[in-house]
Amino acid sequence: MSAFTKTTASIGAAALLIALAACSAEPASSSTDATPVSGGTLTFASGDAEPTCLDPAQSGNVPQALVSTQYIESLFYQSEDGEIEPWLASGWELSEDGLDYTITAQSGISFSDGTAFDAEAIKANIDYIRDPATKSSTGAYALAKVDSVEVTDNTTAVIHLTSPDSALLESLSQVWLPIQSPTALERGLEANCESPVGTGPFIVESWEKQSSITLVRNDDYTSPPPGASHTGPAYLDSIVWKFIPDDASRFAALQTGEVDVVDRVAPESLAALEAHSSLTFEGSSRPGYPESLVLNSTKAPFDDVKVREAFIRSLDIDAGLESVYFGSVDRSNSVLSTATKYGIETPDAYSTDVDKAKELLDEAGWTLGSDGIREKDGESLTVSFLINGDQVLAAQKALYEQFQASAKQVGIEVKLNSVDVATRYAQLAEWDYDIASAYYTKNSADVLRLIFDSANTELVGGYHSNTTGIADKDVDKLLRAAAESADEDERTDLYAEAQEIVAAGYYQVPIFDQQTRLGIKNTVVHGTRVIPALSLPTFYDSWLTR
Amino acid sequence: MTTAVISGGPVAIPRARTAGRRILSRVAGAIFVLWAVATISFFIIHVIPGDPALAIVGGAGSNVTQEVLEAARVEYGLDQPLWQQYIAQIGRLATLDLGTSYTLRTPVSDVIADHLPSTLILTVLSLTVAWILALALAIWVTRGGRIARVVGSTLEVVSAALPHFWIAAILVLVFAVSLRVLPATTAPGLPGVILPVVTLAIPLAGFLGQVMRESMLDALESPFVLSARARGESEFGVRWIHAIRHAALPGISLSGWAFGSLISGAVVVETIFAREGLGRSLLAAVIARDVPLVTGVLLTVAAVYIVVNILAEIAYVLVDPRTRVSS
Amino acid sequence: MTQDLLSRPAEAGSPTIERADATASAARNRFGRLRRIRPVEAVSVLVLAFLVLASLAPTLFTAIGPFDTSPADAFRAPSLDHLFGTDQNGRDVFARVIHGSSTSLLIGISATALGVGLAVILGLIGGLGPKPVDFVVTRFLEVMFAFPSLLLGLIFITVFGSGIVTSTIAVGLATAPGYARIIRGQVLLARNSGYAEAAVALGRSRTRIIVRHVLPNVLGPLFVLVTLGLGQTIVWASSLSFLGLGAVPPAAEWGAMLASGRAYIANAWWLTVFPGLFIVLSAVAATALGRSIQQRGRES
Repeated sequence: MSAFTKTTASIGAAALLIALAACSAEPASSSTDATPVSGGTLTFASGDAEPTCLDPAQSGNVPQALVSTQYIESLFYQSEDGEIEPWLASGWELSEDGLDYTITAQSGISFSDGTAFDAEAIKANIDYIRDPATKSSTGAYALAKVDSVEVTDNTTAVIHLTSPDSALLESLSQVWLPIQSPTALERGLEANCESPVGTGPFIVESWEKQSSITLVRNDDYTSPPPGASHTGPAYLDSIVWKFIPDDASRFAALQTGEVDVVDRVAPESLAALEAHSSLTFEGSSRPGYPESLVLNSTKAPFDDVKVREAFIRSLDIDAGLESVYFGSVDRSNSVLSTATKYGIETPDAYSTDVDKAKELLDEAGWTLGSDGIREKDGESLTVSFLINGDQVLAAQKALYEQFQASAKQVGIEVKLNSVDVATRYAQLAEWDYDIASAYYTKNSADVLRLIFDSANTELVGGYHSNTTGIADKDVDKLLRAAAESADEDERTDLYAEAQEIVAAGYYQVPIFDQQTRLGIKNTVVHGTRVIPALSLPTFYDSWLTR
Repeated sequence: MTTAVISGGPVAIPRARTAGRRILSRVAGAIFVLWAVATISFFIIHVIPGDPALAIVGGAGSNVTQEVLEAARVEYGLDQPLWQQYIAQIGRLATLDLGTSYTLRTPVSDVIADHLPSTLILTVLSLTVAWILALALAIWVTRGGRIARVVGSTLEVVSAALPHFWIAAILVLVFAVSLRVLPATTAPGLPGVILPVVTLAIPLAGFLGQVMRESMLDALESPFVLSARARGESEFGVRWIHAIRHAALPGISLSGWAFGSLISGAVVVETIFAREGLGRSLLAAVIARDVPLVTGVLLTVAAVYIVVNILAEIAYVLVDPRTRVSS
Repeated sequence: MTQDLLSRPAEAGSPTIERADATASAARNRFGRLRRIRPVEAVSVLVLAFLVLASLAPTLFTAIGPFDTSPADAFRAPSLDHLFGTDQNGRDVFARVIHGSSTSLLIGISATALGVGLAVILGLIGGLGPKPVDFVVTRFLEVMFAFPSLLLGLIFITVFGSGIVTSTIAVGLATAPGYARIIRGQVLLARNSGYAEAAVALGRSRTRIIVRHVLPNVLGPLFVLVTLGLGQTIVWASSLSFLGLGAVPPAAEWGAMLASGRAYIANAWWLTVFPGLFIVLSAVAATALGRSIQQRGRES
């Protein structure tokens, strides 16, 4: 063996020994002090796509909501039980006919640019969201029934509606209907995208595109939400908001300490997370329509309810969640998240029953072919499943493959059609799919109207939120009535009935609630909470020990 | 690349006349390539499914109203016939106006200026490290016996057959998570660039190594080395000066191609290490159907590729022992 | 791979060297009639034979199906029941790797064949055609080079949908320009070589010149390219899978398995190691075999 070879071998052996030694070393967890201290910079890595605009009124998606929760607040606060509480607005009153909401602005609050928050600000913001030039989607849709806003005195604004809207206050608790400084709004859309100005505990200092956003403490902060653990300015000096789209890299960065908090913790990382005593997992359900599979009922073969039910009954969702999700998520049996009021569970509609599935397909005239796939009139029972190729978690992909296998057992051939996001929206718009994955984040049962009202099969801005194609007059009536009713009991009954009909139609099958899944370095970061309205993290109460 | 580089030695024609003609044909060739790249990227984006107008209003999932979408389409000239849009685009590019990115809302030239240095550093360092690794392996193999040859050969083939994402995963697991000596994602300074560079360098080193080793072995057996030995030059001189020069030639002529392959690798590596760069920007731009950004980045890549090729040609002529005026 | 192609242009046409080589190889042949088989050669042939057999008759090696999903058995480590362990859906990894041989090797071979095939066409047209044609071909190749190949593949798949066929075509198209340039170089070399010129002077037909002087010079390096390219193309296809486009599930394809197994690399190492091993094995065996054959060609 030459000297060279010997050296190479010994270096290799040494490296291996070091690696083994390091692997077994556990980072020591420090004891946490009970008293929060001020100061420090928290680094947060988001797994969602980087927003294209930091103003959540422009467009309105989850990445925007995640970051703007730190610097923008809403009129109302929705608690964990779904109750509406005052925040920037100190109170509200609903008129008899349900067409006028009188909102009182809390006094003594200013935006971080010094502008006072008052009724004029409320009007300015609602007008801004409703203005087509702002290109708001989520916010504008939520304000669809608003006719005008009237300022009656310095702290009172009246919202006039065209028809009663029981979801309005809930909408006004979402950061997609933000309250921003009217002075800032006047700078124009571009400027507002770069550095929006709100009343929140942090201020946008800079945004290095495709790198990170830097937020600094708002020292004049005076509007903590209900449920906050302290008042006054935030503890953190600043937050560095990074974007690490790769799941494995993002979690690795948490393990090495390069970042302090991550979101979208993948199920396969949970075991490693739990093994580290210095890491904590905090998961919470997001409101709205859960992660589900929707079936396109506008064309064959899913225009036949028997085939739809057969497909749903062939799936073994529990086994899937146990395996690829390592049992870390709960199965959903409702079309509403556990975090949203008025949801009912209909487990019987979604329970696995392979024999029933086969029976239904026989009844529907689909006979088993020689290759194991059913046929009818020369057509084989092949369906295409539209998947978002680049944004879906590995665990979800694995789950869908399991569904494909179990559907094959009953004779349904599922073709997985993995495409990029733009292609997916194009195909969705054209109804070019049989199965698709869907969810909708909204803190109100009114989300059911978006998903199941026949009016929403119409294309709006390249998208129709009703992806099953369901057009049931009763469902429409129930959901629209519930949207106008202010009576809790009435709403409960209306929504319950609508949910029963939808479940019985086998148009879709819920899998699990959308979740906020945070991974936190507990030796460094303390006190992180979520704003329940959308289950989004807020770092207002967070403090650091380094 | 022209014939001259592949077949070796320049032809004996009066220098001045050909120099001028060659430069002119180079420039014309470069302009043609840039025009072709601009044309192809324009039509590609419009051929793939997905509406570029959606990118303007905030992405495919933004759910804006139909009026807003149409307004954006008109504002950006996307409602005009394709040919008109193309002519307008080429016209803008001819004046070096790369336009504004739909998704990033900043001028494309700014985006490129921000990201190009990072990607260049990554590719240049990776190419350098790959070269060093390949050369080192080639020398080690020719020094050693048959076992070294087999091991070296296997190492080269194995490393060339490893995908970037897998190498990255292993490196991060070992050096970042377990040993904690290097960061798992990008960080300013040298430590943050080591893992991405090594990830890109390993497969390339494997490929270059295979190419160069064969050349070196052949070079060591060929007549001019024999004659150098016969002239009484030392073993050291023979190996280092003559053989390496000869062996390096195919490596140099492949550098242009290697750069192109590194850009592809950079797309994967920049995504995994969350490193800002042209590769990641390009991928995001294609996915978002951001026409100006896609065109701008592709043109930049093409331009850099042309420059790399020219440099490689010059290097080839300089390194080629046969073009030396021998004493 | 390119040692013949780029490093000895001057010598190829030099008569002195040819004569010296001829004498030497004649000497070797007299003693080397036994055609001694080197161990490396034997091993690579065995490995390739095993892979081909696995492609044609996977059931010889395993009774378990590659698509037998069993979520209850997910993530089992390698054991006697499951030689390579099970994946996230409880499928047997050994079965998937064996059954995946045909798919992956098919992608590798087809993509390489496509790439080299296109390259030969382009190279011949450019090398043999009149100057303007060569000019166009060279420019076309330059433009293709200036495009990052992964992007070409990405766009192709975005337009035509993901799947084995589109992956294969995408990868083949991406590798073609590189090979084309080399082949064109070889064609030009041969065309300008002393032998070809002599043949022209002697009035031989164009076809004869192509067949006797150009093609042999091209076929040699071609073979090496094909063998080297095998591993490369499978790896490229797996990078496409990593980006979310590529072989469609539940296809048991080595590259796709590697890409999807990456997420679990920390808790289920067997998901990436075994498919990766097979990719590397194919690449190494093909390359080694190609090299030996080339070596024999040189010696004879």
